[in-house]
Amino acid sequence: MSKAHEHLTMKSRALILTHEIPISRTKKYWEGLKEGKVYATKCKKCGQIYYPPQIDCFQCLSSDVDWIQLSNGSIETFTQVYLKPQGFTHHERNYIIAIAKTTDGVRVMGWLEEKDLKVVKVGTPVKILAEIMPDGFPIIIFKPA
Amino acid sequence: MEKQCKGQAKVIYLVSLTPKDCFKVLFVKRVAIISVGNSRFGVRSDATYPEIAFEAVKEALEDAGITQKDIELSVVGTVGNRLYDMYPAPLINEYVGLASIGPLRVEAACASGSAALFTAYNAIASGFVNTAIVMGVEKMCEVDTPTSTAVGGRGCYLWEFHMFGTSFASYYALFATAHMAKYGTTEEQLAKVAVKNHYYAARNPKAHFQKEITVETVLQSRVICWPLKLYDCCPLSDGAAAVILASEEKVKQFKVQDPVWIEAIGFGSDTGNLTRREDYTSLRSTRMASEMAYKIAKVKPEDIEVAEVHDCFTIAEIMAYEDLGFCKKGDGGKLIDEEQTFIGGKIPVNVDGGLKAKGHPLGATGCSMIYELTRQLRNEAGNRQVPLKKYTALAHNVGMTGQYCYVTILKR
Repeated sequence: MSKAHEHLTMKSRALILTHEIPISRTKKYWEGLKEGKVYATKCKKCGQIYYPPQIDCFQCLSSDVDWIQLSNGSIETFTQVYLKPQGFTHHERNYIIAIAKTTDGVRVMGWLEEKDLKVVKVGTPVKILAEIMPDGFPIIIFKPA
Repeated sequence: MEKQCKGQAKVIYLVSLTPKDCFKVLFVKRVAIISVGNSRFGVRSDATYPEIAFEAVKEALEDAGITQKDIELSVVGTVGNRLYDMYPAPLINEYVGLASIGPLRVEAACASGSAALFTAYNAIASGFVNTAIVMGVEKMCEVDTPTSTAVGGRGCYLWEFHMFGTSFASYYALFATAHMAKYGTTEEQLAKVAVKNHYYAARNPKAHFQKEITVETVLQSRVICWPLKLYDCCPLSDGAAAVILASEEKVKQFKVQDPVWIEAIGFGSDTGNLTRREDYTSLRSTRMASEMAYKIAKVKPEDIEVAEVHDCFTIAEIMAYEDLGFCKKGDGGKLIDEEQTFIGGKIPVNVDGGLKAKGHPLGATGCSMIYELTRQLRNEAGNRQVPLKKYTALAHNVGMTGQYCYVTILKR
């Protein structure tokens, strides 16, 4: 038993949740990130583009898609994260999360590669890249073009 | 559906927003709010979640002068994902003496309280039951802040949180940046929303924060997710609120004089992934929910005399002014600059302190909005009372960043 905020409390037994997430159907996407590429899906039947990628088209109910690479876009909005959530507290840098609209008309979330927030503007054109971080997790990077 | 029901019914012609043709004729019974209760909001390490639920239920039962035996259905609204219990509703119902009438728990993120109200409202409106209690209950402060932030940020794990470390502050910060870029909204204007809501929280003994602040306090506080600073963000709060609903027959039976009526509940929703939105300056679900509610209640934004809006972050209140039609799109910053949302202004908003300063115990929030508006409509709000003529009020409750939205219009 311990005192939190001067009231008597008791610690619970810890619960650790780690999931095995099925990614066999979006393998191309996750493999692409390792090669530095970001892929969306495009329905072979009706042409609808999906990002995040999904292999099932909700418009025509077909599950036959092409994978298309997203390369260029422009920044629609961004934020710099100072208070990091559990799982990201080991990042020393206050990372910048941005959303870019691609030339294909879909939007992608990524980390903006720019140290000075003052030079970042809505509308800044960016290259869309990806890599694997030292902690083993993938990341999408927006590089000002 | 077209038949007249014994005098107590009201026919509503609901025109859908998409597609534009008339899609439904609803035939509903009127639903009254006969009593409300609200626990103190804050870091409630003095009590468990059923214990704080009891505070709200006790106040509501005493307010109505009824007992648990008079209630036919209990609906619990809670997000509950920071609790040590994974199935909290039965334990809440059991603790407050409602174990035999609680068949479900409702979740719609931060709009869970309103989703629970919607569920109970429909059960009475359809004639299925005559009385119902709605309990919004949440404890957020039993886990540490990075854990709570991570739970909150996992709105869309696979494509957002996993790679980018999103949090709720970061989601709303993305809207703030876009709004500032498009409409010239300033950090000072955002700060003024926090100043207003702290001003009223300092006059609300049930609020989490009891201190007034200045624009400087906000601007000089530490950055959470730029452009949002600590004082732009609602706190992590514990709390509960309860609302008891009754049909017109029961209102007469309980001899409730002049109750508050639910005129309309409108709903809206939007994509889970933020990258699938068209725009980051407005919440489409708010526009849809309010359009529906105004249409059903046959009122206009200018008829609303007091409003509770979803101000989890200061930018959210600015967007709500615009999306609810209290001002033109892009003029939200100007509305707070002119102090039009204080008591005495064009449309007083969040005069209980709002989510920002009263606190935002997720599931409790929607019910707490109804608590405040019911007390306002009954002229029981004391030093925070808004002068009323039309006795028309609006509650706006958003789940996540517009993934869910409910707009409720009340009249007395």
